[in-house]
Amino acid sequence: MNIFRYAPLAIQLAMIFIVIATAGTLLAYFSILRSRYLGYRQDKRMSYLLPKVDNLIIEEVLTNPEVTETSYSDQLILNTEGFQELPMHKKWVREAITGRIMHFRRNVRGNMGQMLRSLYMQLDLDKDTMKKMKSGKWEKKVQALTEFINMDMSISDVTILPLTNSRNRELRAAARHAYIKLSKNEPFKFFDVVTEPLLMWDQVELFRIISSTEDIAVPNFARWITYSSNKSVVSFCLKLIVHYNQLPAVPAVIKLLDTKDHYLRANAINCLGKLRVPDVEEKLVSLYSSQPLHCQIEILKALGRISSGRYIDFLKQEFLHSTDFDLRKSAAKSLVKNEWIASQVLQELIDTANPENLRILKHCMNPLIKY
Amino acid sequence: MSGILETLGNLYESTLFVYGLVLLIVYALLAFFSMLAIRGYLQKNNDHQLDLLASSPMAPGITILAPAFNEGLTIISNVRSLLTLNYPRYEIVLINDGSTDNTMQLLIDEFKMVVVEYAYNAKIRTQPVKKIYKSTDPAYSSLLVIDKVNGKSKADAVNAGMNIATFNYFVCTDVDCILHKDTLLELIKPVMQEEGKRVIAIGATLRIANSCEFDEGVMTRMRPPRQLLPRFQEVEYIRSFVLGKMGWSYINCVPNVSGGLGLFDKEVAIRSGGYDHSSFGEDMELLTRMCRYAHDNHIDYSIRYIPKTLCWTEAPSTLKIFNRQRTRWSRGLAQLIYAHFGMFMNPRYGKMGLIIFPFNFFFELLAPLIEFTGVVSYIVLAIMGRINWPYAVLLLLFVYTYSVMITTISILWDQLSFRYYKSWKEVLYLCMTPFMEFLLYHPLIVVYSIRGYYYFLTGKKSTWGNMQRQGFGKKK
Amino acid sequence: MFTGINSATMSKILLVEDDEIMPKIVARILPASEYELHHVSNGKEAFEKLDSTNYGYDLIITDIMMPYANGFEILSKVKNRERPIPVIIVSNAGNEDMIMEGFKLGADDFLKKPIIPAELLIRVKRLLMKNK
Repeated sequence: MNIFRYAPLAIQLAMIFIVIATAGTLLAYFSILRSRYLGYRQDKRMSYLLPKVDNLIIEEVLTNPEVTETSYSDQLILNTEGFQELPMHKKWVREAITGRIMHFRRNVRGNMGQMLRSLYMQLDLDKDTMKKMKSGKWEKKVQALTEFINMDMSISDVTILPLTNSRNRELRAAARHAYIKLSKNEPFKFFDVVTEPLLMWDQVELFRIISSTEDIAVPNFARWITYSSNKSVVSFCLKLIVHYNQLPAVPAVIKLLDTKDHYLRANAINCLGKLRVPDVEEKLVSLYSSQPLHCQIEILKALGRISSGRYIDFLKQEFLHSTDFDLRKSAAKSLVKNEWIASQVLQELIDTANPENLRILKHCMNPLIKY
Repeated sequence: MSGILETLGNLYESTLFVYGLVLLIVYALLAFFSMLAIRGYLQKNNDHQLDLLASSPMAPGITILAPAFNEGLTIISNVRSLLTLNYPRYEIVLINDGSTDNTMQLLIDEFKMVVVEYAYNAKIRTQPVKKIYKSTDPAYSSLLVIDKVNGKSKADAVNAGMNIATFNYFVCTDVDCILHKDTLLELIKPVMQEEGKRVIAIGATLRIANSCEFDEGVMTRMRPPRQLLPRFQEVEYIRSFVLGKMGWSYINCVPNVSGGLGLFDKEVAIRSGGYDHSSFGEDMELLTRMCRYAHDNHIDYSIRYIPKTLCWTEAPSTLKIFNRQRTRWSRGLAQLIYAHFGMFMNPRYGKMGLIIFPFNFFFELLAPLIEFTGVVSYIVLAIMGRINWPYAVLLLLFVYTYSVMITTISILWDQLSFRYYKSWKEVLYLCMTPFMEFLLYHPLIVVYSIRGYYYFLTGKKSTWGNMQRQGFGKKK
Repeated sequence: MFTGINSATMSKILLVEDDEIMPKIVARILPASEYELHHVSNGKEAFEKLDSTNYGYDLIITDIMMPYANGFEILSKVKNRERPIPVIIVSNAGNEDMIMEGFKLGADDFLKKPIIPAELLIRVKRLLMKNK
């Protein structure tokens, strides 16, 4: 103690911090052990519970004779006696069962999927999910929304809509996705109002939701191509147009070629190529010389995909005379895609090409090489 | 005369004091920031997201660049483990850097490879590429092997791979590193979730594979290394990645993405000139140049880290190889600081110039030197009898307990987020290591670092050398 | 034991799947009275099973992305034999390229997860019938 009282400030601080550091280290050990114990206990619980749950689900739901019926009735009462023997009053049990049902639903759909959903409701697990929705923590809300989406439960717009304006980005996105999947009104109205750019990740989730919702009312995406000021929405709609092969949207996409944003223009060209719209070839070729490099590459790719055979000469000229390597390679690839009509031209090029161009041609014609 | 000495002595002491204090505060901040970063990561993530990405047609393509030199022992199992990564759209570009053993032949035989005429635009100059191989079996269609003349550096090999890479992102890894099967999914996800900025590089925690059990390239059990030297390195890696890099990632000030595992934006990497084959720390060097490029071209960028362990690498278990490794690293650091000194405190380079570079200069580069001179002056003063022993011991004790606490906290963060290792005894065993680190391991690092600086100053020729492979064979 | 007569008419099916729930579901869809179902959870075990039974299976159901050996390798090995075994791919892979690869390698059918049980049953029956 004497040392402490007469020591300079630095030493006093040092002594205090030694105590703090030691206490901190001990606390850390305690936390590590505690967390490992809790994890171990959770593992043990799950290894005991999950096989039982799986068996119950399979016995009751999957081997139920109704499964093979062509029509399925929501009214079907399932035998949940087996479940009542489990400690259903404990929250972790119910959570585990919900999780397991979701896992099953990721593997099967159809009648079996519907029965799993009925099971979820008849075990009152949807009430737990609803409670999570009302929680103050955003992660819990997102969890609840994910559960509702997976279980295909309809929720009132009134519950979801306020969340779409939440300050938390993940919650906003989850609410939007839930709305698209579960609401019966105009699911795509978000494309009208969303002002923030859609992240690549948002697009992955959106695409999954949209393409996996079986009876979704697919609008003509041309609406947003023409009127939306949100570039990421436009670019995402282009991808949806390709996925749903929406040919009626093509005129709107063609108009998009006049946009000043060259990234958007490249996306539009890409879309037209994948849709294989032959009428647009002429316009693309006429635009070609004024485009930045990556748009030019997209135009060449599109000509390859459309494969109408009318612009073989153009491709040939680009291949022989362009100074940029990537343009020559893209032109060659498109020529190869047009092989059904251009095989003579290709043979000619092979016979007369210089070593570098010959290499390009051989590369594009080799089925072992993917890109 | 003695007055001047006295003043100098006091000045030195106070500088040392301030230096130490700042370092301690920085570590406390890093501990705090890393906690926030890890918590943010855990909140945003769940397994279903990985499934979603794995099954999405919109997952961006990724190229894996794996340079290999004389890896005959393990090449087949390593390539197999790369072929079974969980990702819908990727290619593996294996660069055989002029191996003198049977690496190439093993590959040709196992994967039925044939020479193809491949057309590509060599945007970065490298040693000549002799041949390019693809497999005739469509099951291995994502594999491409480049056979090139040895460039005496990993940098040259990776550059050759970059020239051929098709996709917009590439993952750089050593072929002897074992990757987690969800590596590509985990690395690309934060890139896709980043708001507002362009992620130009992202890394993940690296760990030591020395006592882990593997079965044909798949990890079956994770265990802290039994030997002392690798165990020190395991603890060091945990502290450096889980506490250090995650903390820096939270404020977007990551100084380096490890060459053992990192995902990079190919366009920025190529435009920055690719890896520098004359550098001894080429991973950090490229990242610095990528940041410069981004600043010069007004790209709002970010470099991130994720706390999950995705890569296991074999650590040197003998002092000789460890010495070589650390000397090389510190030489690379010195080279880097010297070459890019224009960024020091230069507001033009944003966070890189004002925070990262000065931090690296003072607390990474100068640290071993300051420590060394500090120890020497202490000894001198002790001989002269001018040490106040109780105070000296207390200060030392303070630094010791503080470093043990910080290391234990990083192990704690690691355990709380992912319960690695099979038994709690292994964890506690690992926790005992920081106690000896200060006395045994740290002095080694200081000595080797100074050696590295010496070599940098004298320009001694040095080669990459060969890690004596033990191979990831099954433990008997 | 007269199981000999039954096993002559029962079809032997190999299921290669690393998900833990899918095998339980498939076991219910393909009843044990008509189908002898063997399950392995990764590519390495699949090869071991195929080697030990000398490829004596009537049908293989496999996923694509699995540890040790991906589904394409299994496909390739199985299809390059003189008596190729029909293969159904059951995967959640969503991108066209992967599906095309599967068909290029000779897959007979492709089912995307989540599957409709009745559909799997029909396709299995059809392929088995075709091969008899």
